[in-house]
Amino acid sequence: MSTVSRRPSDALIVVSVVTLLSTASAAAQEPSPPAEATPPAAEAGTPGEAPPAELSPEELEEIQKALGSDTQEAQQNAPSGTASAPQSTPGGNTLAVPGLNTSGTNFLDLSLVLDVAAAAFTAKEPLQTGGHDPTRNGFNLQQLELSIGSVVDPYFRFDANIVFAQFGVEIEEAYGTTLALPANLQVRAGQFLTRFGRLNATHPHAWDFVDQPFAVGRVFGGEGNRGLGTEVSWLTPLPWYVELIGSATDAVGEGTARSFLGASDERVLSPLDLQLTGVVKQFFPLSDNLSLLWGLSAATGPNPTGHRNRTDVYGTDVYLRYRPITEASTTLVTFQAEGFYRRRQVPGDVLTDFNAYAQAAWRFSQRWATAVRYELGTPAKGEGGATVVDPLDPDWTEDRQRVSANVTFWPTEFSRLRLQGATDRVGWQQSPEYSVFLALELVTGAHGAHAF
Amino acid sequence: MRNFRLLAALCAAVSLLAAAPARADLNVVTTLPDLAAITKAVGGDHVQVQSLALSSQDPHFVDAKPNLALALNRADLLIAIGLDLEIGWLPTLQQGARNSKILVNNPGFLNASQFPRILEIPQGKVDRSLGDVHPGGNPHYLYDPRQGLAVARGITERLAQLDPKNAADYRANLAKFSDEIEKARAGWEKRLAGMKGAPVIAYHRTTAYLADWLGFQPIAFLEPKPGIPPNPSHVASVLAQGRQRKARMLLIESYYPDTTAKLVASKIPAPIVTVHGGTDFRAGETYIQHIEELVGRLEKALAGKGD
Repeated sequence: MSTVSRRPSDALIVVSVVTLLSTASAAAQEPSPPAEATPPAAEAGTPGEAPPAELSPEELEEIQKALGSDTQEAQQNAPSGTASAPQSTPGGNTLAVPGLNTSGTNFLDLSLVLDVAAAAFTAKEPLQTGGHDPTRNGFNLQQLELSIGSVVDPYFRFDANIVFAQFGVEIEEAYGTTLALPANLQVRAGQFLTRFGRLNATHPHAWDFVDQPFAVGRVFGGEGNRGLGTEVSWLTPLPWYVELIGSATDAVGEGTARSFLGASDERVLSPLDLQLTGVVKQFFPLSDNLSLLWGLSAATGPNPTGHRNRTDVYGTDVYLRYRPITEASTTLVTFQAEGFYRRRQVPGDVLTDFNAYAQAAWRFSQRWATAVRYELGTPAKGEGGATVVDPLDPDWTEDRQRVSANVTFWPTEFSRLRLQGATDRVGWQQSPEYSVFLALELVTGAHGAHAF
Repeated sequence: MRNFRLLAALCAAVSLLAAAPARADLNVVTTLPDLAAITKAVGGDHVQVQSLALSSQDPHFVDAKPNLALALNRADLLIAIGLDLEIGWLPTLQQGARNSKILVNNPGFLNASQFPRILEIPQGKVDRSLGDVHPGGNPHYLYDPRQGLAVARGITERLAQLDPKNAADYRANLAKFSDEIEKARAGWEKRLAGMKGAPVIAYHRTTAYLADWLGFQPIAFLEPKPGIPPNPSHVASVLAQGRQRKARMLLIESYYPDTTAKLVASKIPAPIVTVHGGTDFRAGETYIQHIEELVGRLEKALAGKGD
């Protein structure tokens, strides 16, 4: 990889972005225009241009002005058809891709995750709510997920998760993430899982159980809360980790926004017809070995039961992780809990209910772990406090509780076998139901990076 | 309007508060403590250095804790070992840090693997049936002080590039560091002359550079393949090889479980050497002291005494 001079098209992008951003905070932002305009030093250690010594505000202004007139000139010289994207030279010997990969020329990280399970249920119609859950006796294809990740240019990263089921293909996620916004901001746009709570934004590969807690499926839908939209997140400059996230997504989808517009197909007339989500995440490194992540989430959006009727969901999640790193150890103990409080306006009433799960997992050797989970879902209550019929789940008239336990074996970090048993105490049914899963996961392709 | 001003003042106060501790000219974050120690040696008072991982931690499996992203958010320079050693955790942190300076291929990111001479670059087709193999070569190059010095040179140049007004100081520090390490190395090599040709068993494939430097022969590894934990039949064959070749010692990093290693060592019999995975930078240890400590342990083992 070598240092390469910028092509006019690049300069154009740089200039427009720089002028856009620098008007707001020319002084606050480190990469001042001249530094931005020089090509980044290549990986081979070619020293890039030294950053400029202190410049006076007047000089910065002059540079901006000069860049501004260059932009105009470049626009005049630009070909009339602007539809085509700037061509990159084939062979990839132009701008070194600022990927997050550290070796090789790799423009696209591809990986495939296969989840299959053998399942047995005592129930005739198992009440599994997750889109990737085993749902019938015998063999189940939970998902075949194709993950694609790549850096688009110095300003964007692209990620997609495309899920193949037995009878179709689904774009689970496909979004861009900004890489170089100032002021600790990051924007995602496209189709994505919202950051509501802890589990929602994750994929089965990161789960401690074969199936999804029923809370997620009941409140948001089998696929978890996601949608087409945009998200802004801000890492606050506080001394500890505090991240604020806000997103606006479309409120439709039986599997992704069932408490909101769900399957109904209403037209968006105002921003209030979208689902708005707000999240605060805080992280506390209690010691080298013990850490705590705590989140507060809220989502609001329209529901189809009447004009201006709304649904609000409030949630909190805690994740406590104990992993000794100050001595040789393979131990990992985690505790994770989430609660969802849902409030729905329906004609003549306001329905409220509560769903939660709490789980503990213990990795007791390099390859083995065990985990247990408790779940609770209450029936919908009206304003008077009496149980009422839930229009989404008319059967749900009593508490439902489920307890699951499992043992996991990882031959390597790329394969996983999991045996899980559960008992489902469904209040509105005569007797408890039982289920057993044996699930296999295989991960192949590019080595993914794990989120915390 | 008044509210806006209040908010602006509050923001200014908060950012001042947050920015206050960073008094050094460059805020450097390294993935591993060895890199931190080397950076501190050449950066001196002009740099503030922090390591993401601890020396007691397996560098392959570090949790991407959000507070580490916070450290990267405030960094001017991120130095990584590279060769995919940190692939499982560093990209998450880099992306979450919202600091475009430290993204790969920007001047604020330094992949240190470009400086040493890389060993064990796999030939032919690589896939994961080989275990946790690093396609770019073996990333454990900082056990060899010669490679450590090469890395120090590279870091110095990058510091000088990012902070030109202190470039002369960085180069002077490097000259001093280079003198010290070369002088120490002559002593180390004399003390460990007996290692030449000695058959040695190790737990993980971390010995390539140490072997290249000291001339010993790694004859077997307790892990059947990199990253795959030992199994009985493999351990038995390692023990047989150890006995047959008269292994002089068994090396194991402090972050690996050592029960099997201890058993094998006692059955060969050969002394066991616990290698500290890295410089204890947080406790103020320097890279030279870390190698000195390692040399001391090897010397003891050569004399037939284990830990």
